[in-house]
Order: sequence, then structure tokens, then C-alpha cells
Amino acid sequence: MLKKLLVATSVLAFGATAAFAHATFEVQEATVGSTYKAVLRVPHGCDGKPTKVVRVQIPEGVIAVKPMPKAGWKLETVKGKYEKTYENHGSQVSEGVKEVIWSGGELLDEHYDEFIFRGMLTAGLPAGEMLYFPAIQECDGAAERWIEIPAAGQTSHDLEMPAPGIKLKAKN
Amino acid sequence: MKGLAALALAPASRRIALVVAALFTCLLAASGQASGHAALISSEPADGTVVAAAPPVLRLTFSEPVAPLVLRLFRPDGSAVDLTDFQTRDAAVEIGLPDLPDGTSMLSWRVVSIDGHPVGGSVSFSIGAPSAERQLDAASDTSGAVRAAIWLVRTVLYFGLLFGAGGAFFLAWMAPGSRAGTRFIRATLLAGLAAAPLALGLQGVDALGVDLGGLLEGRIWAAGFGTSYANTVLAAGLALAAGLLGSGRSAGPLQKVAGAAALVGTGLALALSGHASAAQPQWLTRPAVFVHGVAAAFWIGALVPMAAALRSPEGPALAGLKRFSRAIAVFLAALVAAGVVLAVIQVIDPRKLGGTEYGLVLLAKLAIVAVLLALAALNRWRFTVPALAGDAAAGRNLRRSIKVEIVLIAAILAAVALWRFTPPPRVLIAEAATPASIHLHSAAAMADVSVKPGRMGPVAVAIYPMAADFSPMKAMDVTLVLSKADAGLEPLRRAATEIDGVWRIEDLQIPLAGTWQIRVDILISDFEIAKLSGEMQLKP
Repeated sequence: MLKKLLVATSVLAFGATAAFAHATFEVQEATVGSTYKAVLRVPHGCDGKPTKVVRVQIPEGVIAVKPMPKAGWKLETVKGKYEKTYENHGSQVSEGVKEVIWSGGELLDEHYDEFIFRGMLTAGLPAGEMLYFPAIQECDGAAERWIEIPAAGQTSHDLEMPAPGIKLKAKN
Repeated sequence: MKGLAALALAPASRRIALVVAALFTCLLAASGQASGHAALISSEPADGTVVAAAPPVLRLTFSEPVAPLVLRLFRPDGSAVDLTDFQTRDAAVEIGLPDLPDGTSMLSWRVVSIDGHPVGGSVSFSIGAPSAERQLDAASDTSGAVRAAIWLVRTVLYFGLLFGAGGAFFLAWMAPGSRAGTRFIRATLLAGLAAAPLALGLQGVDALGVDLGGLLEGRIWAAGFGTSYANTVLAAGLALAAGLLGSGRSAGPLQKVAGAAALVGTGLALALSGHASAAQPQWLTRPAVFVHGVAAAFWIGALVPMAAALRSPEGPALAGLKRFSRAIAVFLAALVAAGVVLAVIQVIDPRKLGGTEYGLVLLAKLAIVAVLLALAALNRWRFTVPALAGDAAAGRNLRRSIKVEIVLIAAILAAVALWRFTPPPRVLIAEAATPASIHLHSAAAMADVSVKPGRMGPVAVAIYPMAADFSPMKAMDVTLVLSKADAGLEPLRRAATEIDGVWRIEDLQIPLAGTWQIRVDILISDFEIAKLSGEMQLKP
């Protein structure tokens, strides 16, 4: 019994550790209807190679995205139409940033860095659920794709390359 | 009361210990939070490469220092050994390799990085050249004793059918009223009758892969009964019993019917199972085996009574010799024609003859048959007429020649019984061409995966990615991940390359047979990946 529990605890604990070896957000909870500052933590390169490009996909329902420029990196955004129209401080928005790209930098495998953007979590997002921001690290001829989204009954721990995500909380 | 307190305390203290231990584990794990997981950066020899000579050391270089948990080496023959002789040097692990034979070996590694996060993978490399496709051996997992028993019992059964049932036909139809060779004929019939059920039990032993002790178990016999060989044994039993009746003392219509039944039953017994009868087209192969068997029984069955008749000439037997020499040409022609048809179907490519065990047995048989036919011609055209005319020297020569024929035929029957263990080239070619395939699907995508041939050794993998509505999918990247949990083999990854819409991996080495966990990762777009998994059976 004791042994079984210890093993289970270790698995749980190491599982949690594994999650930190992935690309994740610093703050993993946010309230719908508010602005969220996302700090994407990139823990390592692609199997030893330095990271040259970081791309983050903005999920539907996150609007007014503003990435933070980063010294040594070129910042671009890909804009496009949203699936529906959202209201932002009284104005209707139907298009905006759908992808953020930091390129031209060099993040060595043995170094650590953070990539920051902020955006509005619209009120219609489902509170209580997870919201995922698929992210890609591109290296020379290789890539780490943090783009797996858990299927029903799965959690990020079940995945090899889970997309970074946040837990949505209801507005009080 | 005191005892009660102790009882209550014991679980409580255990619980405390448990909580402390659990907390400690969490703390330990949490301390490694920020560091990354270890990734294999390179290996020496590199994954999938061929080296000239066996390297003494295999070096795995990781992105950070690691500690090996399990290092399991799979040799080219599929046997595994856990390697314990290793040294860690910075982020590299140097593993001392045992002596390795030429061919493809695979190292399955599982290491833990400083943060306690275990990772695993497999590296495959070949010494000299990649393992060649293995010769198929249908009975490779059958023990020597079982094989010897199966061979012996089959040989006895063939003796019973050809010398016994064939002999009974000769006595009933060619030489009615003669008793020449009866004792030998009845002895082989009885031996055959004893061998027939035993052959069925051994079939079960072989089918279930147990040893000879399995003959004592009911399930073994049931398994034997479940194979097509049961039909052969049944027909053989009837033919042998008919032979006993036909070689009986009472001459008459009953003896004739029984003798004919013995001959026909022999043909049926041989046609109802076996490699040759199983070949396509069945409308040709089964009758061909039947004709071959009937003609062989007619010929072989006559030899012993004729030799006996020549030793102590008696009227009915000599009349039989006369009738036989008139009829044999037709039967021999049928025998040879049917034999040629079957050989052509079974071998397909004559170049395969020398290279396969089946072909070697066939070549041996053909060599003996050539000598036999020469003897038969000598008997027919040189000795028979003078012997029947009362020439004593010709009679002696004919008898001697027939005795040699009997010995040669015994050798053929013993050789032919070996075919039980040697699939013909037709089967080998078909087996080699049979891929293992599986259809995988998830909500987002599907894939048809085929592994050819569907067995261990070198294989080529073809992956057809499809959208959920079966339409072809334009994938950005396809990766195959193979693992074998029951062998402790860590995932082996191979990137596929696209050729005309099919994603292929041409030079994959599968080190083990059995159940493999197979996963196909399809990168649908930059931000979308589908991982499809399933299980696949690969034969040895």
C-alpha cells in the first residue's frame, strides 16, 4: 500500500516536472472578460539546436492582441478575420492578430527566455475550461511544436508536446 | 486495551510516514522545475547507419547530463541483453558493447535527466550490412524431438498407404488368389493404422507449439483435429482398413472392392491436405495430387509382392506381374505428368530450387526418381519377358532390380516426409509479399499503414494519410513511432518522406516479432498535428 502510494506520488510529481520542461505560460489562470498578459516560457531548443523563431497561434475569442517587442528579435503578426464579431470597449471588432512571430533571434539550447504578449479574453469564452495557444519553436532544420491539445478525457500530462494553455475563470 | 491502542497507532504512524514521504517526493521533483528535459542529440554509430566493424563502445550524446535507467540491446536474432557496462561523461553516455554478429542491432535506452524526468528512445545500427531478409522456416519453433517424431510417423504412414494399401490393390486386382508379400503388406498396413492417429496428435503438438508430453492432453488432440490434416488422417485410416480387408485371405468381389477403396483412399488422403493440395488453382492441384498418389500406390504396392513372387514362383503372382507390366506405362505417365504439374506450381521460379529446403528435397526426390525410372525401364524391357518365360537368370536380375527399387522408394518416402517442414517457394514468395497493414483513425485524420513484408527484419513502410472523410490529405510531415512495450523496447522514431502522396520509410529494421504499438504523427498544418495509434502483429 505504502509502496503503491509512493510510486503514485512520484509519478504525479515527476509528471508535473515534465510539464515544466515544456513550453508553458507563467500565469496559468485568467478571468474571462479581462486582459491577460501571457509570458511564454521557452525552456530549451530543438534537441540541442538553438531556437531561431518562436510562433504563437492566437485562439478564437482572444482579441486585441499586442505582442511585446524583444531586443534581438524581429516581431511580426499575422492578422486575419475572426470567426465572429466581438465587442471591445464599445467598438465592434471582426479581425485582428491571429499569430505572433518572433524571428531572427538566437536562443541557445542551454539558455532560457520568455516571450510576452497581451490580449483580451472575451466574455464569451467558456469559464472553467482550458484555452490553448499552440506555439512553435523553429530551429535550423528542426522544430519543436507545442501544438497538441488534449482530447476528451486527456490532460496535457498525457501528451508529448502539449500546447501551452490557461485555465479560464468566471468573472466575479 | 493495550493491544487495541497499538493497533490504532500502527496505521496512524504508517500514514504519517506516507505523507512525509509523499511530500518529500514532491519537493524533490519540484526542485528541478525550470530545467528542461534531456534530448538525444547524437549517437555514435548514428541511428540507421551501417558500420564496417562492431564498435566496442556506443556513445549517446544528450542535451544535458543524464543517468541511464535501462540500456537494452537487441541483437540481430532478436535476443535481448541488458547492458550494465557504461560510463557517463558530461552529457554523453558511453556504453560498452558485447561482441555483436553482423546485421542490425538496436539499443533501446531509457535515461533520467537531473530533474528526474525519464525519457526513452531507440537507436538502430548495422554491422557489415543491414540484416537480410530471413529465410522462412515454417517449423523453426518446433523442437527437434517433435520434428523427428512427426517425420517418423509420416514416413510410416506413407509406407502404410503406398506399400500397404497399394499392395492390397495389387493382390486384389492384379494377382487375385496370390499370397505373395501379404505378410509385409499387412504389417505396413497395421503400422500405418497405428501411425495415423499419432500423426493427428503430433499435428496438434506442432500447431500449439508444445513438446511431446502434450500428447497426453485432450486439447492437443482437439487442435490436431481442427486442422485440414484431420481429413487426411481419416481418409488414410479408411484406406488402410480397406487395405487390410483387400489383402485378406478370402478372394472375391469384397476383396476387389476393398482393394479399389484402398487405392482411391490413398489418393484422397494425400489430396486432402498438404502444401501441394493447398496451392492454387485447386481444381488442378487437388486432382493432380490424387492422380499422383493413386499412380504411386499402384506402382509401389506391386513391388514387394512381385519380388516375393519371383523368389518362389506361383501361378497367380506371375500372372499379376504380367498384368502389372502391361498397365504400368499408363500409371507411370500419369504419375510423372501430375508430378511435373505440381512441381511447376510449387516452385514457380526454377532458380529458387537450390536455395530453399523445399527445393533441395525436391531435387533429391527427382534424382532418385531418375534412377528408379531407369530401373523400371530395365525391368520392363529387359527382364520381365524372359523372367515370365522361365529364364532363371532374368528372374534373379528382375528380383534384384525390384529390391533396389524398393529401397530407393523407401528413401523417397522418407525424403518426401520432410516436406512437412519445408514450405515450397510458392509459399515463401507469397509470405514475403504479404504486408502487415492497419487502418488508424482519429477525429481529425486517418492513415493506412502497410509494413512489407509483415515480419521482423528489413521492412518498407508506406503510410497513406487521409482526412476524416477518406479524401487524400496533404500532410506537412509524417513520423512513424514504433514501440514494443512487452519487450521493453523504447519508441523508435522514423521520419517518412513523401513520394507521390505516399509517405515512405524504406530502410526500417524491425528487431523483434510480435505485437508492436504503432503511432503515426501527421502534421496537418503548422499548428495542427494528428497522432494516430494502434497495434500491429509482425511475424517472425
